[in-house]
Amino acid sequence: MTTDLETIGMLRSSLERYVEDNYGFLQRQALLNSENSFSSRVWSDLAEFGFLSLRLPVEHDGLDGDAAAVGALMEVIGQRLLQEPFLVSAVLATSLVARLGNAEQRERLFGSLASGSMILACALEHAEHCLLEDNRLSGRVPLLMHGDLAQGLLVAGHDAQGKVRVCLVQADQPRVERSALRLVDGRGAAVATFDNVEVELLDTPNNGLSVAANIELLLDEANVALCAEACGMIEALLHTTNEYLKVRKQFGKPLAVNQALQHRMADLYLLKQEALALTRAAEQALSGPAAERARLVSGARSYISKAARQVANEAVQLHGGLGITEELDVSHYFRRVMLLNTLFGGRDQHFLRFVEHSLSA
Amino acid sequence: MNTHLLEKAQRLREAVRHFVSNEMPAELRTKSHRHQVLGRQDYLQWMQLLDRKGWAVGHWPAEHGGQQWSSLERFVFEDELARLGCPWIIPFGVKYVGPVIYSFGSEQQKLRFLPGIVKSEEFWAQGYSEPGAGSDLAGLRTRAVRNGDHYVVNGQKVWTTYAQWADWLFCLVRTDTEGKPQSGISFLLIDMRSPGVTVKPIRTMDGYEHVNEVWLEDVVVPVENLVGEEGAGWTYAKFLLKNERTAGAIVGQAWHVLARLKQHAKETRINGQLLIEQPLMRNRVGEFELRFLALETASYAAVLAMDEGRDDGGEASLIKIRGTELYQDVSETLVDALGEAGMVFDIAALHATPGLPPLGPEDGGGILKEHLYNRANTIFGGSSEVQRNILAKVVLGL
Repeated sequence: MTTDLETIGMLRSSLERYVEDNYGFLQRQALLNSENSFSSRVWSDLAEFGFLSLRLPVEHDGLDGDAAAVGALMEVIGQRLLQEPFLVSAVLATSLVARLGNAEQRERLFGSLASGSMILACALEHAEHCLLEDNRLSGRVPLLMHGDLAQGLLVAGHDAQGKVRVCLVQADQPRVERSALRLVDGRGAAVATFDNVEVELLDTPNNGLSVAANIELLLDEANVALCAEACGMIEALLHTTNEYLKVRKQFGKPLAVNQALQHRMADLYLLKQEALALTRAAEQALSGPAAERARLVSGARSYISKAARQVANEAVQLHGGLGITEELDVSHYFRRVMLLNTLFGGRDQHFLRFVEHSLSA
Repeated sequence: MNTHLLEKAQRLREAVRHFVSNEMPAELRTKSHRHQVLGRQDYLQWMQLLDRKGWAVGHWPAEHGGQQWSSLERFVFEDELARLGCPWIIPFGVKYVGPVIYSFGSEQQKLRFLPGIVKSEEFWAQGYSEPGAGSDLAGLRTRAVRNGDHYVVNGQKVWTTYAQWADWLFCLVRTDTEGKPQSGISFLLIDMRSPGVTVKPIRTMDGYEHVNEVWLEDVVVPVENLVGEEGAGWTYAKFLLKNERTAGAIVGQAWHVLARLKQHAKETRINGQLLIEQPLMRNRVGEFELRFLALETASYAAVLAMDEGRDDGGEASLIKIRGTELYQDVSETLVDALGEAGMVFDIAALHATPGLPPLGPEDGGGILKEHLYNRANTIFGGSSEVQRNILAKVVLGL
């Protein structure tokens, strides 16, 4: 499945137009102060534009969009710091249902995922802490992004034989305990505990991969999507910092004329170019052989996490006191970038995986 | 090396340790251990405790109630308090304006203001930065126009720490617009309750309001609140900065956060292995240790040089650049090492459950708060860029 460039271009520009009109900084600030940091209006708009159907198979009126299509949207999401559970529900959960669900499950879940009426959160990295026996789940997930507002949770667990399985948990039921939290960037999350909860297994892999291999693939996809999001943040931070240096005057001249600052900006530009190229390479590697996929995904992820940190740190520093204020977008990018080192594996884990695959290649 | 100076400083360090473990009130200790946000009363209580030990103004001359500490003693005092994670010493009275008043103020000003500063009975704020005058402080535009026995002040200050609690503002104002930017500046003491003073809080990304905008609109300031001579404010401002150079807290804070990282890495297992045993983390902590060793050694050498009159003007910049950058880097690693707990920051929850974070260790929320606010450490008090300019121009003569 390769999405053609024209479709990707249209998707990107239609999301860009939408956020231009509906997701300005002040509109986002208002959203941050709402419950769960979530606007059902924005979410249903995203459904109406077809963004939530991006990953659905064509026979379910989806676009069957590939990693480059996901990346294009994630880049815009990073540029504007969208809070909505696009990655978690419309990309990850939807892909998982498409690959592991049986015909009935796919039929039942796709409609409400595409319409936005159901949000699914994913807990795929804690299988060792979740036990699945006779369609019942017990265990604990330390942090589920958007787990506060999701109606359903896709949870990876292990069965009595130690085999990894994936199940769907209805979130609103007595034996599911959720405590809502806010992430440092304002997005909602939850800690979830399952006490012998009745669940539904998604256990029909239809792409030739085992459940465990599917989870690994999906986490790789999540990481590449995060790379694209980070690229969007890097681009936005570079743009705003560049403009600021030209207009902010100290000692009778714009900051931009200081050669020391010009060189720092030049270094950040190099990071941006590298990040964009690595993201494209990782997107392509997702459909290639597993070892090369692992090497490129984890390599891109390691490099970009560090690059985004450097860009965010420098953007704050070069904006001076303004850079740490709530009312300037720079500090919001800074906070979202903070999460990059921990989400979906974290930098060290990816770095080690990259080294391992590089040295054995 | 001056062994007498070193021994005296070491005795002070031990006295500080003893004081913190035996005399610090439990509630204040808990709050500061968790890096919770402190209120005006907390700070006043803390400063008054230090005053009872004779330490609040230990660095002042004896005639004004001080102990005539050497630069080294002053440095050790601040270093040790910060290592032990104690509250910040609010510097605006005891470190900044107090010495300006006893050095350049009138007898009347000394009598009026020094006792309140020593006892921390009046809260001071610093009116320096302006929207157009940050690193370029001499570009300030707040105007003070003499009208008989008073000045009328108009302008705007920004990044004014704890102005919301202040009784008094010491303020750089422009009394003359002719000549060099530095020459027309004067040093005024402004009563924060004067009509025309408005404080607007600025929320920073840690979710709290530590800094403010201060608007001055036709504020009437009696001429007797001018410190020293009209137009000589820049000299006093530079004196104040010089007097503020011995920032031991910068070294102590870096030590404190590094100690916290080591503690966390030694008690946290990931995939069955202690974090500190994992090569990447071990390497990182080792590099931080090495940087700290260099910082500590060079800082103490720099402070001794000051006491012995061998300083070259780059000492404060060395401490500030190396100390604040190390602190930020260690803090970043600590937040990462907290894993999920390092991703959660819930201001409402922190307010609701006296400072306790929803996930992770009890100081987790405080670690995040400090991490978010410490990005300012390389910006305020002379940014890292300005410090490097000082090194290049003043020390290296480039």
